[in-house]
Amino acid sequence: MFTSLLAPFHYDYMVTALWTSALIGGVCGLLSGFVTLKGWSLMGDALSHAVVPGVAIAYLLGLPFAVGAFTSGLLAAGAMAFVKMKTPVREDAVIGIVFTAFFALGLLLISLFPSRVDLKGIIFGNILGIATGDVVQVVIVSAVCLIVLALKWRDLMLFCFDPNQARALGLRVGALHVTLLLLLSATAVAALQAVGAMLVVAMLVTPGATAYLLTDRFSVMLRIGAALGAVTSFFGTYLSYFLDGATGGCIVSLQTLIFVAALLFAPKHGVFASRRILRRARAQEAVVP
Amino acid sequence: MPTSFSPPLSLAAIDVAVTYPNGLTALRDASFRLAGGTICALVGVNGSGKSTLFKALMGFVTPTTGRVEIDGRPVREAQKRSWVAYVPQAEEVDWTFPVSVHDVVMMGRYGYMNFLRIASAADRSAVETSLRRVGMWDYRDRQIGELSGGQKKRVFVARALAQAGRVILLDEPFTGVDVGTEEAIVSLLRELRDEGRLILVSTHNLGSVPEFCDQVVLINRTVLAYGPTSEVFTAENLTRAFGGALRLFDLAQSTVNDHDGRSVTVLTDDERPLVLGKRGHLEYLDRTGREQLMSDREEEQKGKS
Repeated sequence: MFTSLLAPFHYDYMVTALWTSALIGGVCGLLSGFVTLKGWSLMGDALSHAVVPGVAIAYLLGLPFAVGAFTSGLLAAGAMAFVKMKTPVREDAVIGIVFTAFFALGLLLISLFPSRVDLKGIIFGNILGIATGDVVQVVIVSAVCLIVLALKWRDLMLFCFDPNQARALGLRVGALHVTLLLLLSATAVAALQAVGAMLVVAMLVTPGATAYLLTDRFSVMLRIGAALGAVTSFFGTYLSYFLDGATGGCIVSLQTLIFVAALLFAPKHGVFASRRILRRARAQEAVVP
Repeated sequence: MPTSFSPPLSLAAIDVAVTYPNGLTALRDASFRLAGGTICALVGVNGSGKSTLFKALMGFVTPTTGRVEIDGRPVREAQKRSWVAYVPQAEEVDWTFPVSVHDVVMMGRYGYMNFLRIASAADRSAVETSLRRVGMWDYRDRQIGELSGGQKKRVFVARALAQAGRVILLDEPFTGVDVGTEEAIVSLLRELRDEGRLILVSTHNLGSVPEFCDQVVLINRTVLAYGPTSEVFTAENLTRAFGGALRLFDLAQSTVNDHDGRSVTVLTDDERPLVLGKRGHLEYLDRTGREQLMSDREEEQKGKS
């Protein structure tokens, strides 16, 4: 029994998959705090789909996938900013138009060269079969994100909470905006390996949203988000070994389960807690004439 | 921390024009000059360019032509010295953001911190002093959404204090604030003025302006007039600034009659009424402290009759 539980650790590919996904999950979870509070969830979804043509082209040309994905993500972000500035079309529509255009181009490229690009790997992720070169890229991307966040999280928090105050203090708000966008693109690229383009947005939103329900302090929220992301990614990958199911599906299902638990049982913002507070308020009203 | 800023710094808008990318010119030829140690109201209707001027003073928009100078320097330099503090409108703030009262006030100190924004003992003591001064120290660990309207406002005033802002801009500070809190904020602003700071208040609440503002900048697409409240706040100027946008209750035209010494009472729900007397004078809520004004007017009355 016990030996079978440890079975995944006997395979090198499983050990690599476990720690790589935990790393990606942790970084995404950390960033998800900013994404949810800035209201960039849709942006995260858009970027994760917009990187697909870049990944396809990178594989076709034999370039590191991260370079292609990153370029394509930034092009998409630039295209969105341009269309938004030049037209009165609303932001959600702009995002919808741009990311589907990129995603469609990616699908088209992949379908034209089916033998050289792994469609399933890009769309659904393939952490169990991740190549060593890709692991290196994921580690570099994650390390850069962690360093930037460790150094600048307070500035980014102020930017998310009160950009006007940031500006009044002479902080470069435009640079902070771009930094957050770059971090978002970078983590989307890394997460692509773990859960695939379809589910990246969950990694970038759900841990942060869960943490938001559990605390009223931003620094605590970041820590909870990172921990949730790492732990769910680790155990999701672990479970997928036994279930023989999609790793991305396992990870995101776990994250959703924890979110639902928090939604119900969170000490202050949970459904039950709100009911309790209401009931107490009513009882007090009944006592005080 | 009550420090005194001397010499008080100056704030000047010089021929400021702002045209937005969509072609709308919100403001043109706007000029005025103020010096520290005053409370000045920025008054105009919605769409008058009031908020554009406000943004230009804070450096949020760059004037298309003209310039804003704080102590003779560009706004950007004043920002880097943390001179310009900003108290936002309640609607602008995300009250569900997971930050405590203490966290928010600490955001006023970023300009004094190093690259990593790690708070020093001086930062922490500035935050404590500011929170105590507005009477919010006991609430420091509350999430900001769990405060009343007046408390929320005080937290952001405390942030401006912690920042040691020498120019403090308040955007519609009395919206959604009860009368008691309004008075508390006004007396705090007076203290800040007496320390030599320049307090600039954007408001559409005309009635409160004569009560606490020393000076007024009147705006309608440009600066129509600026100077001491009693000189600028005339029926004629206000009509120019507001056009038909003001509701007028003219007592002489009204059904109020028999002026025999019994008083006429004006009640309003939320905002203070602006009352102009028979000679177009500003009328104040309270006679105390205005004995000179009263006797001057009596003299004037005698002279005319």
